[in-house]
Amino acid sequence: MRRFLLYLLIGIFFVLLQSSLFPLLLPAGLRPNLLMILIVYLGLSENLTRAVLVALLLGGIQDSFSGTSLGLYVTVDLVLLLLVRLLSTHLNTENPALLLLLIAGGTLVQNLLVGFCLMFFADAGPILSILLSALPQQLLANLLAALLMLLLLLRIQPMFGSRSGLPGLIYQSKRHGA
Amino acid sequence: MRELFNRYRFFFLAVVLLLSTLLLYSYNLRNKGATSFFERAILTIAAPFQASLDESADFITGLWGNYLWLVDARRQNLDLLQENRQLTSELQQVEEIRLQNERLRNLLALVDDIDRAALPAQIIGEDASNWARTVTIDKGSRAGLRAGLPVVAAEGVVGRIIKTAPGSSRVLLVTDASSNIAALVQRTRTRGIVHGLGSKLALKYALRDAEVAAGDLLVTSGMGGVFPKGLSLGKVQIAERDELALFQKIVVVPVVDFSHLEEVMVLLGEDR
Repeated sequence: MRRFLLYLLIGIFFVLLQSSLFPLLLPAGLRPNLLMILIVYLGLSENLTRAVLVALLLGGIQDSFSGTSLGLYVTVDLVLLLLVRLLSTHLNTENPALLLLLIAGGTLVQNLLVGFCLMFFADAGPILSILLSALPQQLLANLLAALLMLLLLLRIQPMFGSRSGLPGLIYQSKRHGA
Repeated sequence: MRELFNRYRFFFLAVVLLLSTLLLYSYNLRNKGATSFFERAILTIAAPFQASLDESADFITGLWGNYLWLVDARRQNLDLLQENRQLTSELQQVEEIRLQNERLRNLLALVDDIDRAALPAQIIGEDASNWARTVTIDKGSRAGLRAGLPVVAAEGVVGRIIKTAPGSSRVLLVTDASSNIAALVQRTRTRGIVHGLGSKLALKYALRDAEVAAGDLLVTSGMGGVFPKGLSLGKVQIAERDELALFQKIVVVPVVDFSHLEEVMVLLGEDR
């Protein structure tokens, strides 16, 4: 329950950053989607039930802060989470590039899913061209943000004695002797 | 006797020295006003050393006090810096208030022109995604706002409210892909629908023969029932006619700079 609440709080913090702080500091195309990174992280490291519940709630939160209708990101985040979970069992989780690779893939999949949902369910006009034109910058911003968060996490984790397995962090296991 | 002296030499010498000093002391007690030769000599010899020592001490003290320690100067400097920062901050606040005042005055002038009750609001957030174009304002249902109310800036149309909470509302900007507004070209009165393209707008359904040129101003037509008639939407950037197409392809640049939007007016109720 504590971890569930922690993820929820982090999600709310991220969405507030995305909606209030990033617009002041970063140009429109270069604002990372921190919630997407969190969803990928959940898919890799949490048990399925908890990850799904958190992803649904985070999707709802993201919907409340973006777009026009609730449900879009609830769906998209859930699909993304399940895809990550499905893939992670077939991937080499000792590879340091895995998380970044999944973030890159997640960005593409998320944009594709958003575009698909908006085109087929909401008739949002030229949404695909908007999404596609913003995609390279979004990809770059997400990868940079993921890299920074990864480095930050490595610093923070030992302070709290957390040793939860994080795919791609090969030198973390060396540090903890795992 | 000699043996006795040798035996107690130390004590004898001590007593003699003690008595001598006592005598000297007794003598000098009687001649307080006079400087003895010894004293004069010592003072004379010591004076240059004393002077240079004093100068050195002054130099070190001065160095320490004026350059190294600098407690007072440092404190004064800090106080002055703090005061300077405070004054600069106050000056910036005054400048910020002046600019805000100017913007609000422009907004009020617009609202006077529209002749409709309006509520000023501040933009407090932007859309959390990279594709949707919405902003959050600091007024909500508690202030009487509801979905559908038009939102304007001094330059022209901003969008319309799509969601309200007690203390805040979400505004769908005209540049959002799902935004459609009935519009007309001010110069030629050509009608169409202004549609969001993300950062620009497009005027749809303008007939091929209709006269539209780059630089033409687009205004709301008032047909949709949401926006009052005559509010500025944007200026035509490109107007292209395809041989086979029924309608023109018109790209419009919005008059409102959404990246620097801070205050808006929500138009309430019907025209007065």
